[in-house]
Amino acid sequence: MNARDWLIQLYPRAWRERYGEEFDALLEECLHSPLDALDIFLGALDAHLEFPFEMNWRLMNMVNKLRTSILIVFAAYIGFIVGGMSFYGLVDDSPMADLMKARADMPLFAAWTAVEVGAVIALLSVVIGGLPLAWTVIRRALTSSREDLRWLLVPVFAFLALVLYVMFMASIGLGRLQIPGVVPVVSHDNFPLGNRLLIGGFMLVFILGAIVSTVAVWKIISNTNMPESTFKILGREKSVKLYEYAFIPAVVATLAMLLMLIATIIWGWLAYSAMPQVFAEHWGLLLTSTTSSFITTVAIMLASTAVAFFGVARGYLARKMA
Amino acid sequence: MNLADFGRFSDPALLILSSLADGPKHGYGMMTDIETMTGVRLGPGTLYGALARLEGSGLIKAMAAQDRRRPYQLTAKGAAALREQLTILQKLASTGLKRLAAL
Repeated sequence: MNARDWLIQLYPRAWRERYGEEFDALLEECLHSPLDALDIFLGALDAHLEFPFEMNWRLMNMVNKLRTSILIVFAAYIGFIVGGMSFYGLVDDSPMADLMKARADMPLFAAWTAVEVGAVIALLSVVIGGLPLAWTVIRRALTSSREDLRWLLVPVFAFLALVLYVMFMASIGLGRLQIPGVVPVVSHDNFPLGNRLLIGGFMLVFILGAIVSTVAVWKIISNTNMPESTFKILGREKSVKLYEYAFIPAVVATLAMLLMLIATIIWGWLAYSAMPQVFAEHWGLLLTSTTSSFITTVAIMLASTAVAFFGVARGYLARKMA
Repeated sequence: MNLADFGRFSDPALLILSSLADGPKHGYGMMTDIETMTGVRLGPGTLYGALARLEGSGLIKAMAAQDRRRPYQLTAKGAAALREQLTILQKLASTGLKRLAAL
């Protein structure tokens, strides 16, 4: 810790969260003498003692907590998508897919539809809530912050890596590329180790991409100390309180996750009642046990939903305390 | 909003408002502008003590940060407060000078 860091640490945490970065940039240029250090010491003392500004800092604290809460819900949503994809993979490859396509079992079909409806609501909520925030972050990164621009490239590269991997898989599937031990078309009875590794590789690229992208978005938004942003809509300027605006869609996304979780559990129970033998077999991801694959999926969804609810509760308390 | 409510930060606050009347500036920009304008060098702790009060009172507004430096701009409320304060100072200066001339 250098002298600058030490001096900044003298200020209250809420003050540092709001002014710390810019104050550090100022000190880089103007911290010349012990008199400056004394002035900072007195400024820090004033910041600790000045009660009339407590409300203002409480408001800033609310904004910071709300921002973290929204990021928690966003990260939980990404986790839920991983669970959702695993669920889709489980159903898509198994004999249960035919049962649902034929709509032979209406309750099972209704539960599946509820999961799909929840997925659409959650996606729309994340898009609606995240759009002004994403636009602000991109605008800021392109105009002023090179560091943010670097972080912004992470999801782009993660997506490109996924696209390249899908193209690689498609080349094998179409027979344009031949790899020993990998067959172009697989079935339940013919699923060689090479193909399992290939699909495992896809899952790895997807999950790693999701993790690094989430970390990058978290980092960028944490850097964006902008509670408000102005947008030009149809020629008129509109100011949006970004985090307060995004909180409502975050709540809706969390409720949609709960809906999907409940619908998935009901679906599992109905599917088990209709086709118990399928759960005794290996229709899970990479031909693992159906039961353990389904339980893992539900566990991921449950953990993600719990994290999202934690984020929402944190945001709600922050708004209430402000 | 009366700048006198800022206590020992009322003078630095007036200097900051006067500096921002010329356009948005970040901390170091204000510091050098004030020094050029008045010969007074505000310490970093004093500058940000006044800045936090001005922002908290809605007299100035933070803009998007540029490479860790955050510019601030005067709000309409801040411009009104500055005008009011400078008018008082102008009257004071004019009265004081008249009285001095009569000596």
